[in-house]
Amino acid sequence: MDVRLGSVRSGWLAASILSCLAAIGSSVAGAEVGTNELAQRGRYLAIAGDCGGCHTRPEGGKAFAGGYEITSPVGAIYSTNITSSSIAGIGSYSEAQFSRALREGIRRDGAHLYPAMPYTAYAKLSDEDVRALYVYFTQSVQAVDEQPRVTRLPFPFNLRMSMSIWNALFLSTARFTPDPRRSDEWNRGAYLAEALEHCGACHTPRNALMAEQSRRQFAGTRVGGWYAPNITSDPVSGIGAWPRDELVQYLKTGALHGKAQAAGGMAEAVGDSLQYLTSQDLRALATYLLSVSPIRDQSDSRARDAWGAPVEHEAELRGRPTTAGSAQPEGNALYSGNCASCHQPTGAGTADDSYPALFHNTATGARHADNLVAAILFGVDREVGGRHVFMPRFDATSYVQPLDDSEVATLANYVLQEFGNPTVHVTIDDVAAARSRGFAKWLVQVTEGLLIFAGFALVTLGLWTLGRRRRAHP
Amino acid sequence: MSVRRFNNGDADADLVVVGSGVVGALIAEQMAGAQRSVLILEAGPRLDRAQVVENWRNLNFQQRVGSDFQSLYPQSPLATAPLEFPPNGYVLLTGKNGDSFHQGYIRAVGGTTWHWAASCWRHLPVDFQMRAKYGVGRDWPISYSDLEPYYCRAEEAMGVSGPNDPALQSPTERSRPYPNDMIPWAHGDTRVAEIVNPHGYRSVPIPQGRAVRPWKRRPACCGNNNCQPICPIGAMYNAIHTVQAAEAKGATVLAESVVYAIDTDANNRVTAVRWYDRNRQSHRATGRAFVIACNALETPRLLLMAANAQNPSGIANRSDQVGRNLMDHSGFHCTFLASDPLWLGRGPAQSSCLVGSRDGSFRSEYSANKIILNNISRVGPATQQALKRGLTGTALRDEIRRRTIHGVDLSISLEPLPAPQNRLTLSKTRHDALGLPCPDVNYELDDYVHRGYDAAAQQLRHIGSLFNAVEFEVTTSLNANNHMMGSTVMGFDPKDSVVDGDCRAHDHPNLWLPGGGPMPSASVVNSTLTMAALGLKCADSVQRALEHA
Repeated sequence: MDVRLGSVRSGWLAASILSCLAAIGSSVAGAEVGTNELAQRGRYLAIAGDCGGCHTRPEGGKAFAGGYEITSPVGAIYSTNITSSSIAGIGSYSEAQFSRALREGIRRDGAHLYPAMPYTAYAKLSDEDVRALYVYFTQSVQAVDEQPRVTRLPFPFNLRMSMSIWNALFLSTARFTPDPRRSDEWNRGAYLAEALEHCGACHTPRNALMAEQSRRQFAGTRVGGWYAPNITSDPVSGIGAWPRDELVQYLKTGALHGKAQAAGGMAEAVGDSLQYLTSQDLRALATYLLSVSPIRDQSDSRARDAWGAPVEHEAELRGRPTTAGSAQPEGNALYSGNCASCHQPTGAGTADDSYPALFHNTATGARHADNLVAAILFGVDREVGGRHVFMPRFDATSYVQPLDDSEVATLANYVLQEFGNPTVHVTIDDVAAARSRGFAKWLVQVTEGLLIFAGFALVTLGLWTLGRRRRAHP
Repeated sequence: MSVRRFNNGDADADLVVVGSGVVGALIAEQMAGAQRSVLILEAGPRLDRAQVVENWRNLNFQQRVGSDFQSLYPQSPLATAPLEFPPNGYVLLTGKNGDSFHQGYIRAVGGTTWHWAASCWRHLPVDFQMRAKYGVGRDWPISYSDLEPYYCRAEEAMGVSGPNDPALQSPTERSRPYPNDMIPWAHGDTRVAEIVNPHGYRSVPIPQGRAVRPWKRRPACCGNNNCQPICPIGAMYNAIHTVQAAEAKGATVLAESVVYAIDTDANNRVTAVRWYDRNRQSHRATGRAFVIACNALETPRLLLMAANAQNPSGIANRSDQVGRNLMDHSGFHCTFLASDPLWLGRGPAQSSCLVGSRDGSFRSEYSANKIILNNISRVGPATQQALKRGLTGTALRDEIRRRTIHGVDLSISLEPLPAPQNRLTLSKTRHDALGLPCPDVNYELDDYVHRGYDAAAQQLRHIGSLFNAVEFEVTTSLNANNHMMGSTVMGFDPKDSVVDGDCRAHDHPNLWLPGGGPMPSASVVNSTLTMAALGLKCADSVQRALEHA
């Protein structure tokens, strides 16, 4: 259970998800539903959209009371209070005002929201679902009358109207339209993936202006220090070879024995949101994902979960002084000293999968070693089904052993050579770059890009206006 | 607030802490968090966990079986710790029981909690009143209830897992539950408790500074079973975690900085300490408050060697009690093979303990005891024993297996009383690499302890019979348990004690000497949690003093 959701919520979430299955079914037909059922559906949708991921402060924040700090190079953005409080929250919003904020990024007072709020994805939400979310937030969510810290960015980023330029270029206000040639299940999956779970936010590469490239949907891209991999249906570069049931299990638990483990942003997505989806919705999501046009990277010769085998060097290591802790540590010494206690000297992990194998593991088999490096630097932290999977971090704040860039590179290369894709090489600069990109949410990265864009756009506009005036009044 | 550093290497801070073990680190973290500039001077080097882990794995069999938990830790040549493989003679032991006082401690950033069992016991309330209740030993100037809130804070800081069922607690007087419930027992702990508890031995879970779930930035314990000499994954609390937390709050740590002198002013306030850096250059750290938290051997050694014109018998030593009243849980072992396999050696190194004789009216006559069911894998000793029988091949393997799963090792702790003749003094002939005097220790145990041994040995024979023990052996010589206490003893009266109930030196209003040294009674339980609690109480005292300054 993610700390941000609070452990109390797990019980009723499970119960409410079961009970709202029926509500979802009946609402599809557009039948009149009671407020209570609507609110229950809204609660489910809020989880699917991971509203709490940003609007609930980690480590003890009250649900949806905001105040979560998203750091960007131009300053801190604080998430807002979206509880039913009419003083500090959105309790006095009309449904139309709520909808506008959600799908167009425009606040009740007309000010533009910063794009840390993923309104470009929520724009696809159906009217029924927006209503359900509205009823849930304004009637069921406990009011918290505390105003979180207010975002105050420096000029020119404080001019929220600058967002209108980007919106005009990239915000599509079109609702999701089902494809009549596809099954209901497929359409449900597409709706979940695009409008609610916003998979593309991480997995689809963006253009220079930070808009998703629809032609490269789900082809994989870098997110902070992590890499959101290709999740198209290509059997080599993507996940097309994964049976649907396995994909469902991965989405539900964040772990698939002998294939992959969710870390970074995906661990949050599973922990905050995906694990609570109904099996019906998870199957729909998987059906849709496995249908997405395959995108093959020609340099991929083998699926990223199909590299490596157990290796044992224990006997040759023993009885000689270790190089761990020296100026030039060897990879096997670093691996043995830092990793082998859990992942085992053979890299096979443990039989009960408490510690995954390092071969047949997407983190070590991928063409991009970002996730291997990021897992070493930032660790793995995933709470699913009451189970907390936690690999400690090895960056400068590590309580186990801080490793420097050179040590991380040596260690990563050892793991790649011994257990993973030996054609991949990590440089010291790669590690330094990953360290500085940090454990960023996709929102942070997108926000950074957008804000910088907006700033430049505004400055350009200002200079242009100034130039015109000068010409007009010589 | 950051420490001021000068071009010549000198420094100035609100608080100067000497020693970066659990006690010094907790105080440094609290004060750095209170926006004070904090300088930590540590004699030893910074350690690399992976290097220590690999050194342990590469250690030869004799040292591993001999529980050499010292040699694998890199040392500064200018600040050696006691070594036994081979002996480096750093501490000279004299007296009738000098051989029972071979203490192991680490001089490095993070201190000796790098290699402890993480047992986090509290003293019993009555342990604070040994003189008043039993007419022996010394009373503390503070009560259990004075220290109880600090025990809670120490347990929180160290992430202790302990039994929240009062029936399994020792003591039961608690104002807060443990941060984590007890580490689940393995088969051996459960089976032994089932067998011995009907006879009053009261086997209970040991509160431990580790957890079976992730705790703060520490991963869950995965049962490597070598807590001593090194937790390979950082699941066990090591003070290095607190050192890092203090650094994150702005504290400065200078490793390989050996403090050797203490300057005082006309009012006997401490004005500075002086230290040697790794190049033997001397520097001076001035400050408003000073904490010396080296351990109960190195702290009195420093106080004595820092004698100055105004304090000719040593800093804080007008009472002549610095270095005296040295205690340790002088202990012994009982080993046997149980008729049924117990499968000990899975999970943490220590997990359950018999506390039925922690307290009782007998304490007016003889020492209490605790009997730890040692949970360190028996494969090493089993191998030695099997090899002695000249076995080879499958027979050897089978015998190692048999001895490992049937083998039991009980570690018994006794409670010495504080005695002035048990003391640390400075050697007049032996010096370390910096020319600083090495410590001499005189240690003699009286009949209080010997009678306690006899009582415990009788209990052990009974316990052995409950397991149909064969090869039942009880060691007759006492061994050290590395729980040094008493050498800067606390009390009300400046004439017969060194510090007050806040670990503040009677002689110097801005000097604190927290840790094991101030403890006037040893109890029979591991001293670290009490040291940490005293450290936090000291931190509050330092904080108040700096606020009023």
